[in-house]
Amino acid sequence: MATTENLSLRERATKPRPAFRLVPLLEPRQKVGETRRIAVYAASLGLAALLSVLLLAVSGVPPSDLGTEIAATAFSSPRALGSVLAQMAPLVVAGLATAIAFRANFWNIGLEGQMILGAICATAIAIFDIGPEALRLPLMMLAACAGGMGWIAGPAYLRQKLGVSEVITTLLLNYVAFNLLLHLLYGGWKDPVSSFPHSEQYEAVERLPQLGWQTLTWALPFAGILAAALWWILSASRLGYLLDLLSANRDMARAVGVPVAGLSLAAILASGAVAGLTGFVISAGIEGRMTQDFHVGYLFNGVLIAFLGRNHPLGVVIAAFFMAVLVQVGQSLQVFFGTPFSLVRLTQAIFIICVAGSEFFLTYRMNFRSAS
Amino acid sequence: MDFLANWLINIPGFAVPFALAALGLIFSERAGVLNLGAEGFMLGGALAGVGLTLNGAPPLVALGGAMVAGAALGLVFAVLVAGLRINHVISGLALVFLAQALTSYIANENDWANQSFAGLQDLVLGQDIVVWATPLLCLGTVWLLGRTRFGLTLRAVGENPGAADAAGIDVTAMRFAAIAIGAALMGLAGGYLTVAVSKIWVDNVVGGRGWIAIALVIFARWHPWRALAGALLFGCIEALIPRVNAAGWAVPQYYLQMTPYLATLAVMIWSAARGGDRWAQPAALGQHHIREERD
Repeated sequence: MATTENLSLRERATKPRPAFRLVPLLEPRQKVGETRRIAVYAASLGLAALLSVLLLAVSGVPPSDLGTEIAATAFSSPRALGSVLAQMAPLVVAGLATAIAFRANFWNIGLEGQMILGAICATAIAIFDIGPEALRLPLMMLAACAGGMGWIAGPAYLRQKLGVSEVITTLLLNYVAFNLLLHLLYGGWKDPVSSFPHSEQYEAVERLPQLGWQTLTWALPFAGILAAALWWILSASRLGYLLDLLSANRDMARAVGVPVAGLSLAAILASGAVAGLTGFVISAGIEGRMTQDFHVGYLFNGVLIAFLGRNHPLGVVIAAFFMAVLVQVGQSLQVFFGTPFSLVRLTQAIFIICVAGSEFFLTYRMNFRSAS
Repeated sequence: MDFLANWLINIPGFAVPFALAALGLIFSERAGVLNLGAEGFMLGGALAGVGLTLNGAPPLVALGGAMVAGAALGLVFAVLVAGLRINHVISGLALVFLAQALTSYIANENDWANQSFAGLQDLVLGQDIVVWATPLLCLGTVWLLGRTRFGLTLRAVGENPGAADAAGIDVTAMRFAAIAIGAALMGLAGGYLTVAVSKIWVDNVVGGRGWIAIALVIFARWHPWRALAGALLFGCIEALIPRVNAAGWAVPQYYLQMTPYLATLAVMIWSAARGGDRWAQPAALGQHHIREERD
């Protein structure tokens, strides 16, 4: 008896351990090379695209038709390209608004509320004909900035003074803003001509002028200029440098004398202002009035675009173009294959999850070998 | 008098979704997982409840299905946040977006939208079985978290995952379990919302209640009984809206609709101004655990 016990003990001591562990040990990577970064990012986009194609195939759109559909709806004619670019303008602005806040480590989930307030303030200028006609558009723009800023100021104050999580406060204010919008549109601001619940049509001087190519208005160049300006501020100016320092390590930034509170506040307010401008761009650049659902889906789009574009203005522009194509294709699939538009949203959700998940492969190295 | 009676009798039905969602959140957050996906889990449960009921399942089976749907979405969230160690905020938002798109898609494909049904019937005193069960679930949560080995382990993971790991607890598995239980409860909250309250599906039927529940849990300092009290408070506010409308008082309707959200903001401000939340919250809330990483 004793010998067998001894044997089993010896056996246990010398038994070769499995050379492979099922659940890997995670080792944080010290630094990540640019090649790896790009490869992982591309792989995650590829996976998301593959899953989306599969999803579409399941709901009745054959992959072979999908390619022609994308080519036809987005690139076949100047008219098709024109409508993609028209869709793209507000998406760029929404993505920029989200990206600025994310850069300052402020989770601005209140894009839609800030858009609504921006549009309400701009529409007030238009309805009450405030200011001379030549200055009407700039005034509307400023009002939109002020509206968006005002709507984010509360959450910014609460976060900085009381430490209240901005995720919940900004989000809750979306619902408040939406009800305010409905109150106005079903009340005093109802269209006097049709008595439909949208604002009266803006006069010509209150709308962004046509570009003269397809249906494009100045909304697109406006978005482009905004992106370029933000690119310069974030990448080339002292302000952008300090903001990078702040988002990389807040304590370190404070220690070396960066005005941390002031700088974050400036970035947060800028995010709100640009969100307000998104409302202005849609109302004055596309719809020609304030409608009751112009904001729908922009929170989702803004987060996705900022995320895909890595919070970089140039990345935001590229991602916004990509999303505009996706939206356009979705609308065309709706017509030709009867696929619901929520499928586009589902595709977007897949992209956000895949890109978010890919972060894992940049942060950790998986060690499947057993410890010796 | 009529007004008061009608109001009081409606409060529990409005309070239950908040209470159940808050209990679910407490499970997840006491294990250190910051859970912003509440709205998503509730949507999943709400849709499952509608789908099963429209296909002839009895209400209690539909509610069971809602829990399963919530837990299934919970596993997706768990893979992101506890498996792949993705940022808690991003994981939560991604889950909400996924649930919004998925539920709207499934409801559309199956033509479940805007079809009303009988739903869950009242049991005693004008209240249904879930209303009566909610305090028991709260008691169960208090007991499970405070009086059992499982609860102790769960809280250890939420307070100090490093120490829990050193003591031989599988932190990742524990967080998966906490998220799944929590998501099942939030699924039930959503299911109750459609099967017993709205008795109809419209896209985004949850309407921000998940976010309100998140604020509620902070207000309740992660404690089940206080969460139940907070849920009652919000139930009072929500139940008041249709009453005021019915009474025909000249309060602008859309201002009335804002009140739950404004009340939530007020509660958050009060809670923060009171101070001490930082000491009440699980110490490792929102932090990943990597054995190979030094703190």
